[in-house]
Amino acid sequence: MIEVRSLGKAFVAGRRTLAAVDEVSFTAADGAITALLGPNGAGKTTTLRILATLMKPDRGRATVGGIDVTADPIGVRAQLGVLSDARGLYTRLTARENIAYYADLRRVAAADFARRLAEMAALLDMAPLLDRPTQGFSSGERMKVALARALIHDPQHLILDEPTNGLDVMSTRALRQLLDHLRRRGKCIVFSTHIMQEVEALSDRIVIVAQGRTRAAGSAAELRAATGGGSLEEAFVRLTAAAVPA
Amino acid sequence: MNGAWAVFVKELRDAVRDRRSWTIALLLAMLAGPVVFVLMSNFISGLEERVAEREVVIDGAANAPTLVNFLQRAGAHVTEAPAGYLDRLRSGALGNAVVRPPADFEARLARGETVDIEVVYDESHDKAQPVVRTAMRLVESFNRELGTQRLLARGFSPQLLAPVALEEVNLASTQARGAQLLFIVPWAALIVAVFGALSVAIDVTAGERERGSLEPLLANPVDAAALVAGKWAVVMVYSAAIVLLTMAGFVVSLRFVTNETLSALMQLRAREVALFAVVLLPFAALMAALNMLAATFGRSFKEAQTYVSYISMAAQFSALVPVFLTVRDAAWHLWVPSVAQLTVLMRVLRGEPVTAAHLAVPAAVCVALTLACLWLQARLLRRESIVFSRG
Repeated sequence: MIEVRSLGKAFVAGRRTLAAVDEVSFTAADGAITALLGPNGAGKTTTLRILATLMKPDRGRATVGGIDVTADPIGVRAQLGVLSDARGLYTRLTARENIAYYADLRRVAAADFARRLAEMAALLDMAPLLDRPTQGFSSGERMKVALARALIHDPQHLILDEPTNGLDVMSTRALRQLLDHLRRRGKCIVFSTHIMQEVEALSDRIVIVAQGRTRAAGSAAELRAATGGGSLEEAFVRLTAAAVPA
Repeated sequence: MNGAWAVFVKELRDAVRDRRSWTIALLLAMLAGPVVFVLMSNFISGLEERVAEREVVIDGAANAPTLVNFLQRAGAHVTEAPAGYLDRLRSGALGNAVVRPPADFEARLARGETVDIEVVYDESHDKAQPVVRTAMRLVESFNRELGTQRLLARGFSPQLLAPVALEEVNLASTQARGAQLLFIVPWAALIVAVFGALSVAIDVTAGERERGSLEPLLANPVDAAALVAGKWAVVMVYSAAIVLLTMAGFVVSLRFVTNETLSALMQLRAREVALFAVVLLPFAALMAALNMLAATFGRSFKEAQTYVSYISMAAQFSALVPVFLTVRDAAWHLWVPSVAQLTVLMRVLRGEPVTAAHLAVPAAVCVALTLACLWLQARLLRRESIVFSRG
């Protein structure tokens, strides 16, 4: 389980201070996929970076599997898989070697590595890619390798920043299959997106974030009902627009 | 240091596959020796030829048969200056001095007057110096001979005019003059230590930022210090390999040097090579850490190259400080990296005693600074502005 309570994080740009995350709170349960939905600049990426222990929050508290992200960052990283905004691969290494590097860093046993890699290669349909250098991979192919790399230690928690960015239909399908598979195995999955269509298809629970604040949370049906019916898009527009100060 | 080994193995594999930077580094290492020795042996042969020839070039030999006669008796080979010799002296095409007696030389000599003889040369050309001195000395001997004759003709002892006899005792043989060039060898080795592993140092730091692989890497449960240690070890191995290869290149190409003075001068036996390695490896370690630290500030390979070039330049030029300083072997030389290495390596080449302090002080300074750089870099990797701004 991932818990975020009243998170706040500001950046100093010149003489101005910009609150990227102002007041974000949500809970992501095990065995469920939670979507952070919000417009660009809503603070989704910053929230995920704080969860990944790559940034320190100014205030508030976040725990991953009960471990505080500021108190024990290494402990959090150990049980977390991260598909970050940056998915850089090492282009002179093959896909397999890229994934094996992270397995070595996390001291994954050789037998576990082989088993999990075979499993993910089947789920993501990436077996033919494995022994090619990643130079010249398409964005879909890069995402698959980066995702396999993030999951090679079989983490209980997975966070993904805009996972469908730049993906074609087939790659998005492969991603959805993998996330479904992980949910059935009881994993806790959080992903961010600004694309309405994929939210309903992928997630169990939606957290709407705008201007650094949590606006609403619930299933797609609950959010639609709360805003008086209509499509999720309309619900989203109402919930985020209400927040915009005149 | 959990994870450092995994980083080392991966980065080494990555670097070995980067064939372009390998080729450049290999070329640099293999060419350094031959190029340096060819230049040096050319220079030294040039010195030797000119001195051996005692060639004196005269503008208007026909005007001064007395002078020509004297020069020939002194064993010099006298030639007439070629047309347009002033320009040729300036360009260095004519490496001699030109002796210029006036047109009325013989007439004034006969009247017992003082005759001006000009010696024209261009000081900016290094090679000219010994030849110029030879020419001047010959003209002065001529002067003395003439003066002596005139005094004797008037019944005076020539000793009256020479209460002090100046005698030059120049200890510098051709060998010693060639030794002034000796600094080129340790300097070239030093440059290889500075530049050899530069591309790897940039690739493991700014390269990670440019590719966008730094952020996911830091999400692993590995301490930043372990990442830095693993990366540094690869740069160090790479750098050490290139330095040792360069030394091998020096030793091998020395076998093909035919100039006897140079091969007598350049003693690179097992002892010297070992000392070179002992002196250069801690320096290579420091350069690896320093280059990595500077390159970490670069968001891209290109930006990092700019930062790193400041360091390379500083290291190259500061190494030359002891060469141009009048004070040899000042105590502070050992405490400044690159100055220290050049100082000690020069001692090694000159065959002067190398004490424990000569080896230990510079090495300790390098090791301490290396650790400081690595510590700073591990801190940098926790800085959000480094992790999240990409090229």
